Amino acid sequence: MSGSIALTIDGREISVPRGTTIFDAARMHGIPIPTLCHQQHQTPVGVCRVCVVDVGARVYAAACIRECEPGMKVKTDTPPVIQARNTLVELLMADHPSPCARQQQSGDCELESLAKSAGIAEPRYARRLSPRGRDDSSLSIAVDHEACILCDRCIRGCDEVKKNDVIGRTGRGYTAGVGFDLNVPMGSSTCVSCGECMVSCPTGALTNKRIVGTELGDGDPPEPEWILQLPVFKGVSGTFLELNKGALVKRHFAPGDVICREGEFGSTAYYILEGSVEVFIATPIGHVKQEDAQAGWFSRIRSRLADRQEHTRDEEAARRWIPIDASTDLPYDKPVAELGAGELFGEMTCMSFHPRSATVRAKTPVVVLEMLRNVLDVMQKNKTFRAELDRKYRQRALETHLRSVPVFASMPADFVAYLRDRVELIRYSPGEAIVRQGDPADAFYLVRLGFVKVTERRPGGDIVLTYLGRGSYFGEMGLLGGGLRTATCTALDHVDVVRIAGEDFNLMLSRFPAIRASLEEVARERSEMNRQRVRATEQVPIGEFLTQGLMEAQSLLLLDLEKCTRCDQCVRACADAHDGVTRLVREGLRFDKYLVATSCRQCRDPLCMVGCPVGAIRRRNSLEIIIEDWCIGCGLCTRNCPYGNLNLHPFDVEVPDPAKPSRMIATTRKKATGCDLCMEHAEPSCVYACPHDAAHRVEPLTFFGTMLAAKDQGRTGNTAATSK
Amino acid sequence: MIIDRSHRGWAIASGVILAASAAAYAAFATRHAGPSGGTPIGLMFGIAGFGFMIFVTLLSVRKKFPIWRIGRTQSWMRGHLWLGALTLPLIVLHAGSFTGHGLTSVLMWLFLVVYASGFYGAWMQHTMPRKILRRVPMETIYEQIGHVRAQLVDEADTLVAAASGKLEVAVPVAASGAAELATVMRVDADDSAPLREFYLNEMRPFLASPSGDHPLAHPGTAAARLQKLQSLLPPALHGAVGDLESICEEERQLLRQERMHGILHAWLLVHVPLSFALMALAIVHVFGALMY
Repeated sequence: MSGSIALTIDGREISVPRGTTIFDAARMHGIPIPTLCHQQHQTPVGVCRVCVVDVGARVYAAACIRECEPGMKVKTDTPPVIQARNTLVELLMADHPSPCARQQQSGDCELESLAKSAGIAEPRYARRLSPRGRDDSSLSIAVDHEACILCDRCIRGCDEVKKNDVIGRTGRGYTAGVGFDLNVPMGSSTCVSCGECMVSCPTGALTNKRIVGTELGDGDPPEPEWILQLPVFKGVSGTFLELNKGALVKRHFAPGDVICREGEFGSTAYYILEGSVEVFIATPIGHVKQEDAQAGWFSRIRSRLADRQEHTRDEEAARRWIPIDASTDLPYDKPVAELGAGELFGEMTCMSFHPRSATVRAKTPVVVLEMLRNVLDVMQKNKTFRAELDRKYRQRALETHLRSVPVFASMPADFVAYLRDRVELIRYSPGEAIVRQGDPADAFYLVRLGFVKVTERRPGGDIVLTYLGRGSYFGEMGLLGGGLRTATCTALDHVDVVRIAGEDFNLMLSRFPAIRASLEEVARERSEMNRQRVRATEQVPIGEFLTQGLMEAQSLLLLDLEKCTRCDQCVRACADAHDGVTRLVREGLRFDKYLVATSCRQCRDPLCMVGCPVGAIRRRNSLEIIIEDWCIGCGLCTRNCPYGNLNLHPFDVEVPDPAKPSRMIATTRKKATGCDLCMEHAEPSCVYACPHDAAHRVEPLTFFGTMLAAKDQGRTGNTAATSK
Repeated sequence: MIIDRSHRGWAIASGVILAASAAAYAAFATRHAGPSGGTPIGLMFGIAGFGFMIFVTLLSVRKKFPIWRIGRTQSWMRGHLWLGALTLPLIVLHAGSFTGHGLTSVLMWLFLVVYASGFYGAWMQHTMPRKILRRVPMETIYEQIGHVRAQLVDEADTLVAAASGKLEVAVPVAASGAAELATVMRVDADDSAPLREFYLNEMRPFLASPSGDHPLAHPGTAAARLQKLQSLLPPALHGAVGDLESICEEERQLLRQERMHGILHAWLLVHVPLSFALMALAIVHVFGALMY
């Protein structure tokens, strides 16, 4: 079968090796045949049919896949061939959003160029009626399905050239399109943002995203060629780096220089190239403690920062790690850690815009890469980088992370070593379900990064049971119970979890009965809490009550407006009890004759907890919201509270002078505070001080239950009367 | 404080004290000519009455230190009401009559004024909060009224400026979204002239320095004026008129709140200083009686 064959193309007699396609034969002899779906380095598929030629057969042949045959007479530019080709281009143009993104950016959309050269200005055919949509989920690549001509070049680029196997065909006929993985949004897929699909795409269906106007200022933006030499950037698209040149800068820090400070808002992450840094919490660690300034009847409460040695809450005895936005946690006793070359910090700040969780200072001369979100996203999808990060996490952080969970604190080192290579590290995008209610329980999850929302499906809608941050875990109830998931857990933002397979979890339970007992206790408590919550929801179907979020509260400060003389004694008492900073405002929503004062409600769905960069705000076992010692005063919880019920309370503290560490200087630091119900006393000061019996701290369901039931009964009675 | 069922204990105790005092008085009166301040039983009534007066006066001190754990303030208030109510009968029993001479006469008249103002205050506290609740649904914190009022002026300025062009008053250019919320469309200057004129000549003066005498302070008159204004404007501006009407209503509620708040608390201006004056004179009286 070897040897050459002779054929004629457009009257020219040529000879080509056997097996050559007509397209290649023509190209070799300088005869142009237009095409859209074909590229030289990809397997020809002949889907666009723009390269049709007349080979003297009953139908035209696609030149890109039709092999040359001896004596074949090929015509590439006869009027009927050109007309057939133009019709195809015109049909494609009818659905094409002209000018597409590529045409707008660089003017080189192949379809539009072809249409222009064929003189097709306005297609005669109608556009498709149902839009195919856009996918902006990826931070580096924009997907415009409207501009896709289904040429499959991206699929072959991804599968054949890069071997990533992410892109494929989805749907049939009118609904046909390209999809990522199992037809998930590109940002949620396993796409590594290598950019091959963008390079392959002939139109504006896949284009580079560029961050506009947010380029990092000072610093040294490295050349893409230099970046691509770094192992962690292996496989990243050079075009992407070129287009986003300002989004990645190299910075140098001398020992002692602060790279970022806790509580600050930022939008970048840091990757350490050389040197080592110290990560620590500079805010003094201590509770905001209420205590009597004088003993006896004439007592006065005051707020102050209680030193951790001086005062430890009962349930904190076992908690020894502070979660931060880096690959390691900080020990509670001495919240300092060291990170070295090849480590990343500031991920949550960069991806979810959470405040910085810790202060980072250069310990040695340090070189870091500071990057914006799109670059970090590309890095995180890079298999090499991901593998390296995961390896480091398994080596350095997994053990401390596991031990930071009180029930696992006593786990022997050999079992941690056993788990080290068996656990899976999985990343979820915002909104992605990690486990679904009713599915078989096959694994236990530990939250490594981000926040997880736990919901239960009930008639009438989902109920939020809780939010889980770094260091929390879920999945034990299904594994310990009937083997089915009892709730749905969804990623609220970018979430990393450690997945421990069901068999390993069961092995752990069988080997360590103490852990089993602790987990069963936790599962029982959670189950009871969930039951209470669901019961609360079912008991109160009253619209306004729900609309005002009163059902969410566990404790409300109510002012009976029929009794209240607006004397403000409650506010004065609160301010007096808390160093002149009131934690309540006599303003808020009204329900019936009651004013729901602005004061912490101890919500059942505590949105204030979401996003705390150091996990310092949490529930006590009693469901009361508590702010941990290591609050860094960033104020995110105060902004998250939908009712404006949390405040930042300034305190004068002494800290080491940065210029001379041996000397202490006075400074002001903030800690988040909410109503503490004046726990030192039997009754909150606001209620105690009300002269008119108008202020009450109540459990809303019990308090309003009778009233709502009576109203409901009244309504039912009225309806019955009307129907009669 | 509203006197309701929860006051039953205090009411019974006060009734018992009053009945016992009356019985003691009656028993004494049948044997003697009736007690005066100098008789032992008169002195007893005087001491009890004065003691109650001291306790009642201490409520002000209690309120100055709201977080002192010396009994709930509402308990002090209950004591203030009921023991305060008992003081007059006890003092009358002490004095033997309502009349007197010199200092005692002044004391008795002052006492009556304080007593009456206290009753008036208690009645106010029973009725006025309910009225405020019902009649001022947009109630705000009293101290914030000035601020809210300034916001209303800004909002109205922005609304009218958005409809009819820049006003000849200092209007914040980038008003906080009020223009976006407002249901107005910009129309020709001529068409919007009545709106502009009404606003600058009538409504803005009302918002800037509100007074109960202003026509817009009365809902009926305001509605008539705004209706008339609406009839002069193109439909595109009717939404703006509706928004101005809402602003007027809010301003009226602020006026009402101010007035009702004043009524609710004004009696204290009489009650509190006169109570202290009464206490001072009572002390003088006690010392005078003991000395001479």
